Amino acid sequence: MRERVSVRVPDPAGAVRAAASDDEPTTRERFLRRAIVAGGVLATGGVIIAGLPRLAVSAQSPEQDAEIFNFALLLEFTQAALYAETVERAELTGELFEFAKVVANHERAHVDFLLEALGDQAREEPVTDFGNATSDPDAFGAAAVALEDVAVAAYNGQAANLTKGALRAAATIISVHARHAAWVRSIIGQPPAADAVDAPLTAEETTARLDETGFVQEEQR
Amino acid sequence: MSLSDFTDLRLADLDRDGALREAADNLERTSRAGFFAAAAGGMAAAVALGRPQAAGAALAKSDVAILNYALTLEYLQDAFYTEAQRKGALSGAAARLARVVGAVERAHVKALRDTLGKQAVKRPFFDFRGVTEAPERFTRTAVAFEDLGTAAYKGQAHRIKSPQVLAAAVAIHSVEARHAAWIRYIAGVLPAVEPFDEPKSAKETLQLVRTTRFVVGRPRTRSRRRPRFTG
Repeated sequence: MRERVSVRVPDPAGAVRAAASDDEPTTRERFLRRAIVAGGVLATGGVIIAGLPRLAVSAQSPEQDAEIFNFALLLEFTQAALYAETVERAELTGELFEFAKVVANHERAHVDFLLEALGDQAREEPVTDFGNATSDPDAFGAAAVALEDVAVAAYNGQAANLTKGALRAAATIISVHARHAAWVRSIIGQPPAADAVDAPLTAEETTARLDETGFVQEEQR
Repeated sequence: MSLSDFTDLRLADLDRDGALREAADNLERTSRAGFFAAAAGGMAAAVALGRPQAAGAALAKSDVAILNYALTLEYLQDAFYTEAQRKGALSGAAARLARVVGAVERAHVKALRDTLGKQAVKRPFFDFRGVTEAPERFTRTAVAFEDLGTAAYKGQAHRIKSPQVLAAAVAIHSVEARHAAWIRYIAGVLPAVEPFDEPKSAKETLQLVRTTRFVVGRPRTRSRRRPRFTG
């Protein structure tokens, strides 16, 4: 039955399968990690955040928590900006506008939490351009679904890489993104929960998805 | 909204089957045996959800207890939606939700059972006492179940030893949250109230489930046995 199959694939990207192996990060990943540590402007017109641990077995550490939280912070910054701009423009109406107002506060709280957790390690807020996604109902709905689904998958993909304390904190955020995703999907008539599991994304896949949206113009660290 | 909001649900009734108490006891026992779990739950454990041939063999005791706790909650949800669907008293968005979510909860039960193999707890008997055929009570109860399921998984995630089991648990956890938001939307209540979703301990969770009196000692709304005499 299909049900069985969809549960058997909580990780189509292979992170779970890879967890059973003890492969070292590839040279490219190590390189990119060094590049991130070196800092500076990483990309213009796109986002590069590779270098995060891809394997579920990477040893947890506070340093790695910080890397992951900084990665999450980019997603939270982007979402917070989408909703804040939508509320400011006030061109949406009805359920979508109510959603934007409530969720804007949640995303701001997530950003604040991560900024506090990261202290001076926190990345800077990215430059964003949402085009008509903060004024047109269809474009806004599509943007919100894309960003919320990606956030759920991205956090899920890093869960096993976090220390236990960081995981406890992240878990309180993950389900709120899942609620947002199901909420906006309900409003625009998309299936709120299409699968038996929310498959995780690796950091690279998350980056690619975020790049596809074109919302992040310039990303600094 | 929480289960305790239901005026018709009383704390006094017992978990006559003992299934809930057993799940709680096992969780407590294994959390004290953490050192054993840490040793057994090594990173290389060849456990994959849904791979029956490896079922349960390499799981840490504490992970078995957590998975059985999750399974108990999934049994409850599975039975609830499956019965609602079978009774056919729901319509529109609620009927669609019962159908889709029922299939998902059955899939979660199957995945957990496959993972646990012979160590899986038995399915308790349930008596929903008409809630599955009363649309408004169905919706309120579903909201409570899904909020509770989300909080319950969240309360265990950091205690899971196996990275594979953890990956599966978080992937289920966020689906429970999606269900919660979906049914809340249908019920006309805010799908996401707070910026952070708080966890619930196993003790709190099982106490809430107990107050519903939905878990009973013997079957009432369904039978596992065939009739003794058939035409």
